[in-house]
Amino acid sequence: MLDFEFLIDTFFVALSGVPVAILVTVVALLIAMPIGFLLAMTRINKIPVLNQIAKIYVSFVRGTPIIIQIFVLYSFLPIVINMFFEKYNIDYPVYDIHPIWYAFVIFSFNTAAVLIEVFRSALSTVDKGQLEAAHSVGLTTAQAYRRVIIPQALVSALPNLCTATVNLIKATSLGYAISLQEITLRAKVEANFGYNYLEAYIDIFIVYLILCILVEQLFKYWEKRLSRYKVASA
Amino acid sequence: MEKYFDIQYLWNAFPQLLPYLKITFLVAGIAVVFGTLLGLLLAFMKMGKSRVLQWLAHGYTTVMRCTPSIVLLFLVYYGVPFLADASLGINLQDIHTGVFVVITFSLQFAAMMSEVIRSAIQSIDKGQYEAAVSVGLTPWQAYRRIIFPQAFVIAIPNFGNGLIAVLQEGALAYTIGFIDVVGKANLIIASNFNTHALEIYIALAVIYWVISIAIEKIFEMIEKAFSKGSRSLKAS
Repeated sequence: MLDFEFLIDTFFVALSGVPVAILVTVVALLIAMPIGFLLAMTRINKIPVLNQIAKIYVSFVRGTPIIIQIFVLYSFLPIVINMFFEKYNIDYPVYDIHPIWYAFVIFSFNTAAVLIEVFRSALSTVDKGQLEAAHSVGLTTAQAYRRVIIPQALVSALPNLCTATVNLIKATSLGYAISLQEITLRAKVEANFGYNYLEAYIDIFIVYLILCILVEQLFKYWEKRLSRYKVASA
Repeated sequence: MEKYFDIQYLWNAFPQLLPYLKITFLVAGIAVVFGTLLGLLLAFMKMGKSRVLQWLAHGYTTVMRCTPSIVLLFLVYYGVPFLADASLGINLQDIHTGVFVVITFSLQFAAMMSEVIRSAIQSIDKGQYEAAVSVGLTPWQAYRRIIFPQAFVIAIPNFGNGLIAVLQEGALAYTIGFIDVVGKANLIIASNFNTHALEIYIALAVIYWVISIAIEKIFEMIEKAFSKGSRSLKAS
């Protein structure tokens, strides 16, 4: 039989991991968005070298499982940091670095590549005439992007942005691999005492379900607000 | 750097890892077959008239989309034996872990495929079906001869993406003790006393990267081969 008392108690343990999952998601998105946008621009304008680098970067991230990316970066970063510390005589043990810093780097690395493609396809939905029209009325390219191109591109980017965010939240469940105390790991540790793994995973499952449905609703609401201009012009 | 990174370990990893790709492919292959069948069923539930079935199929897809693979994997791993024991009294303690891996990724792939199949079928103009029925085909014939062949071509790229996704998510199977290519990599690292993990993981990343690119290219070719016919049809 299921242990219902444990089920309810552990639900709140799993819930206590939500802030960590959200923090990692938000920080990763904030770091990845400008990088993704800039690299998407280099892809669109076919800037030599950077375009190729961005292409390989996207191909790698899309071509490898995220758990393998975590494995690689989590064994690679300490080596690099250690060399850096030794070179500059910083007396700080590498293994004392909080896993959340690794999480920020790893998930930003992954999300930036996803966002390159999201922004690239969104920007390509905006007609070239929009930029030309903006130029012809005297806007600079930066102004045209900020006031004309990006607001339109954002509307078509939102569904993909939503998918990327949901995938990112789901990916934080792999935080166990870097000992990050998020939703999954917290509930799992709780189950270690009495071997109540099934109950723990039911709790984890419910927490992610609630979290993802909330995020999806939030994006739906945002999309509705942003696409108001379409109704006005119709 | 050399004491941390020894390229020799990377080269040696490939011959040890590659034989285990069979297992990775086998599991993904079975999951794709079951997942496609279940996905087909779900797609028809979504397009059918019954409100309850529609709601069920959409609910299933939403739940699957919101559940991290690792959570689903462990839910199946602990949940299926529990349910089998509680409802039927069957003891599944000794069953091979591969079965749980297959169940998990079939369930996940089905949710993906239900959307792929539904959007492919719905992208075919309704007039095609009406025209087929009007010339005397039964609804089943109309689907089999007119709708499916066209929907199939539209679904090819998304099917390829789904295949890559299921292979990649399958990398998590090692967490329940399944020895596929990732499980083997972890065994190699353990036998090296947890040193030189980076080299082994890079080898693993390269293997997955090559497979993903290969699948992408193959599906591009398949798509091209199939859409050639449709273009010549339009021209004639």
